[in-house]
Amino acid sequence: MIAQVIAYGIVVGALYGLVAIGLALLFGVARYLNITHGSFMMMGGYVSFWLFTLWHVDPFASVPLVMLVMFLIGLILYKTLFSPLSKLPEGLKINNSMLITFGLLWVLDNAGILLWTSDMRRVTPSYFGAMFEIFDVRLPFIGLGVIGLALLVVFALHLLLTKTYFGKSVRATTQDWEAAKLMGINIDRTYLVTCGIGVALAGVAGTAIALMYSITPGGGLEWLLIALIVLVLAGLGNIKGILIAGVMLGLVEAVSVYVVGAPYRAAVGLAIIVLVLMFRPQGLFTRRTRGA
Amino acid sequence: MAGNWKRFLASGIIVAFLVLLPLLTEIRTDTMSLLIMLCIYVILAQSWNLMGGYAGQINLGLAAFFGCGVLTTRLIWGVGAPFYLAILAGSIAAVILAAIIGIPSLRLRGVYFAIGTLALAEALRIVVGNVFPSTLYPSPDHFVGFSLVPRYYVGLALAVVTTAVVHIVANSRLGLALLAIRDDEEAAKVTGVNIFKYKVIVFIISSFMAGLAGGVFTYYRLSIMPYEQFTALWTFGPVMAAAIGGAGTIIGPIAGCIFLVIVEDWFALALGEAHYIVFGIIFILVILFLPGGMVEAVDRVRKFLVRLPSSKAD
Repeated sequence: MIAQVIAYGIVVGALYGLVAIGLALLFGVARYLNITHGSFMMMGGYVSFWLFTLWHVDPFASVPLVMLVMFLIGLILYKTLFSPLSKLPEGLKINNSMLITFGLLWVLDNAGILLWTSDMRRVTPSYFGAMFEIFDVRLPFIGLGVIGLALLVVFALHLLLTKTYFGKSVRATTQDWEAAKLMGINIDRTYLVTCGIGVALAGVAGTAIALMYSITPGGGLEWLLIALIVLVLAGLGNIKGILIAGVMLGLVEAVSVYVVGAPYRAAVGLAIIVLVLMFRPQGLFTRRTRGA
Repeated sequence: MAGNWKRFLASGIIVAFLVLLPLLTEIRTDTMSLLIMLCIYVILAQSWNLMGGYAGQINLGLAAFFGCGVLTTRLIWGVGAPFYLAILAGSIAAVILAAIIGIPSLRLRGVYFAIGTLALAEALRIVVGNVFPSTLYPSPDHFVGFSLVPRYYVGLALAVVTTAVVHIVANSRLGLALLAIRDDEEAAKVTGVNIFKYKVIVFIISSFMAGLAGGVFTYYRLSIMPYEQFTALWTFGPVMAAAIGGAGTIIGPIAGCIFLVIVEDWFALALGEAHYIVFGIIFILVILFLPGGMVEAVDRVRKFLVRLPSSKAD
C-alpha cells in the first residue's frame, strides 16, 4: 500500500514539475510572474483535446504541435503585454507583470467559457486506464508516459540552456541583463523566445493534465497554485530544482491525502508554502540567499 | 489648508446626502442592492488600496480575507450571537489569516507576498468548497422584518469609516513609511524604516477591513454559498476598481467602484458573461498606459486646460 502511494506520488509529482517549469523559466530569466500560466495550460489542453477529438491524434504525438501553437501565443503575449515592461526596475516589473496577467487570466478564462463552455473535458485514448504491474504496485501507462515527458522536457531544456548560443545568452541575461546587453546580447529577443518557450511548456503540461485529470476554462488557477508551490519549494528563480521539487510535492501530497484525507489536499500545499517561506525562503535547492 | 476644508465639506455633504437618501424617498430594491454592493466594493477596494496603492504590496488573494469574513460571520451569527459580535469575529478571523500568511511572506520581497496571498485564496477556495459543499441558510428569525435599509446603513457607515481610516493612515507617520517602502524598499530599510513592522501593521488593518466587508455581505445576503466568496472574482473586482480609479489615492478607489458597479450593471445585461472580458481588457490597458488611473487622467486634463490659455498668451 505504501509503495503504491509512493508510486502515485512520483507520477503526480512528475506532472507537478512539468506544470511549474515554464513559469520558473520565465520568472527566472525575465522576472515576469505569469499568473496566466494556468490558463495557458488549459489552452494547451484544449489544443490537444481538439486534435484528439477531431482528427484522433494521439495526445503524446500531439505534444510538438501543441508546443508550436503555444509558442506562438507566448510570442504574442510578450510582444503585446510584456515588452512595454521590460525596461522597468525589477520590483515594478514583477508587480506590473502580475497585475497585467491577472487581468489577462480574467479575459482568457471567460473567453474560454464562451468558446468551449465550462464543461469538463478530458482526453481518453484507447490505452486510458491500462496498467502495468510490478511487485503489487500498479502503474498506469499514462502516468509512465507523463514521467517520460517530464524527463524529456527537463533534459531538452538543460541541453538548450547549456549547449546552445541561445542558452548562453539566456544564462547571461539571467545573471545580469545590463552587462549582457553591453556584451551585445539582444535582450529583447532573449526575453521574447524565453516567453515563447515558457508558454509552450505550459502547453505540454496542459496536454498531460487533459490526460491525467480534466480541463475546464476556469481550471487554470488551481494549476497555477500547484506551479507556485513548486516554484517556492525549488526557490524562486531556480530552474534546476523544479522537477525534484515537483516530485517532492507529489510525494508529500500523496502521503498527506492518505493521512488527513483528500478534502484538505490544497491546505497541505498552502502549509508547505508557509513553512518554506518561514524557514527556507531561498528554496530547498538554492544555497545563496538571493534577494530574500 | 483651505483646500482640505473644501474637500472635507464636500465629502460631508455627499455622506449626509447618502444618509438622508432612504429617508427622503422610497428607493427601489434593485437600486438599494446596487448601493449596498457599492459600499461592499468600496470597503474592499480601500482595503486593497491601503496595501497595494500605498505600501506597494500586491495582494492577489483579497478574496481569502473577504471570504473568511463572510464565512465566520455567517457561522457565528448562525449560532445565535448578535450581529455586531459576528462581524467582529469575522474581521478578527481575517486578521488571523493575515498573520499566518503575512508574517512569513512580508519579511521577503513583494513577489512572495503576492504568491502567498494568491496561494492562500486558491487553497482556501478548494478546501472550503470541500468542507462546506452546500449553501448555508440562516436561522429563520433572521428573515423576520428583513429590510435592506439597515444593510445599507451598515455598509455606508463602514465604507465611510474605512475610507477615513485609509485617509488618516496615509497622512500619518505610518503613511510616510509606506510611501518610502513602496518607492524604494532598500532605501527605506537603509534609512532606518522598520519595513517589516509597518508592512505587517498595514496588512492587519487591510485584512480587518476585508473581513468587515465580508460581514456586511453576510448581513445583506443571509444565505451563503461559502466557497463562492473565495473565488478570484472577489479579488479581481476590488483590484480593478482601485487600479482603474487610481491606486494610492483616497478618491480613486471610490471612483473606480462607482464606475465598476454601474458599468457592470449595464454590461451584464447587454453582454452577459462577456462583460468580464471587457473589464479585463480595460484593466490591462489602464495598468499599461495609465498607471495612475482615473485620478491621473483627470489631473492630465486639468493641467492641459490650465496650460491652454497661458500658451495662447505667449
